[in-house]
Amino acid sequence: MARRTRKFSEDVPFSLTSMMDMMTIILVFMIKNLDAEGQLLTQAENLILPVSTSKIQPKEVALTVVVDNNYVVVDNAKIVPTEDVLKQEDLLVTKVDSVLKERRATEQEHALKMGLPADEAGNIIVQIDKNIPYDAMYKVMATCGFSGYTHIAFAVMQKNGGEE
Amino acid sequence: MARQLKKPAKPEEPDLLPAMGLFTILIPMLLSMTAFSKLAIVEINMPERSMMNMTDDPPPEPDQQALNLSLAITPEYLVIGARGGFQPNVYFKEMWTFRCKSDAQLITHAPEDVKSAVESGHGPKCKDGSEMDKEKYLYEIESIELWAINKESEEDPGRVIWAVYSSQSENVPDSAYVDGNNAFLAAPGEGAMGLTPPPMLKKPSAGAVLATLTPNSARTLKPDVAAKNIIYPLSAYDLIAKDLIQIHTQFIDLEDVDNIIIVANDDTQFDKIIQLMDRAKEAGFSKINLAKLGG
Repeated sequence: MARRTRKFSEDVPFSLTSMMDMMTIILVFMIKNLDAEGQLLTQAENLILPVSTSKIQPKEVALTVVVDNNYVVVDNAKIVPTEDVLKQEDLLVTKVDSVLKERRATEQEHALKMGLPADEAGNIIVQIDKNIPYDAMYKVMATCGFSGYTHIAFAVMQKNGGEE
Repeated sequence: MARQLKKPAKPEEPDLLPAMGLFTILIPMLLSMTAFSKLAIVEINMPERSMMNMTDDPPPEPDQQALNLSLAITPEYLVIGARGGFQPNVYFKEMWTFRCKSDAQLITHAPEDVKSAVESGHGPKCKDGSEMDKEKYLYEIESIELWAINKESEEDPGRVIWAVYSSQSENVPDSAYVDGNNAFLAAPGEGAMGLTPPPMLKKPSAGAVLATLTPNSARTLKPDVAAKNIIYPLSAYDLIAKDLIQIHTQFIDLEDVDNIIIVANDDTQFDKIIQLMDRAKEAGFSKINLAKLGG
């Protein structure tokens, strides 16, 4: 019996309909989660922020101090190990204080140049790991206050991802 | 001539390639602007530098008419103080809830059990029998819960109080319900430490009128909401929040009614401070100060 040759059908066009469905779903999801205002605050690495019901957003970019399990970090520079902060008796963390004072002086100088009042309280955002003991937090907070940063805010994660 | 029948033409698919191109550009752009977890800030009050008293002069006499409200947290209880007096202690049992990576399920353990397991070389156990990383388990804590405890005396180990909570996701409590008398739908548990929910505490059925601690939240339970309600240990934070709301309402005429000082000892985790600050803000205390216990 002669072998029957298989007839190839016409070229089937590549169907993009299913791909379009997928893309539409992704697009809707993205638009739902879109943050058009942008983020003035980004979470530091190596720490978990506590969850809060607060919805207050920072109004302007501020100096950030990070306290994680290993270090106290000011503006992305590791200043002092957290362990040392916990061990010390004094409320003032000297190394952090000198860095903050330097930054505050620069900020005041800049404000004067711009013709803005330089004696206003400095703004600072403190990002602290949720398991950090109150002792370390209190010392860092007091140091910020001594350095002239008396408008202190703690960074938190919004409850339910900020959804109502 | 025979009329030639016209064959029905194949339906033509629309050309989706331009739309695909548009989507391919839109998706990466939106991806870069998407926020999967939103951050916020919690502001605290600090005295201005000029107001700080740097001398050794004795502090001024406290105003007798002021409320002088403080909220203290110790390892065992929460307590509200005002005008030199204190309300009864709200005792709690601290519990850590983890989310296991192996099965994505939530597990709750007492910190002492976790620490003893870690000391003996094991991580906290998950529901599927696997163990969490004993080095990194602290990073897996989803929430630190304070279960309210009913104590008859100081020596009494107490029993966990169970309450009816609304819930949006499976077995995760959201808001505790209160009845018309502003009392929690709650009862002490049974068995050792009251860890078994009391059989007398039933979930309210659809049609029941209940409220949460949020103002003007009284509502008739719809069947879908009623079905999601859970019985869960009452949070000590909720008990304190109820007292704070009552105090703020009662002393609304006082000058310092919006002020509160949160007092904690050195070992208190930062998460607990934030939870207390949240409850104080929700109760109407807009000026929150922090202080150290005994310091």
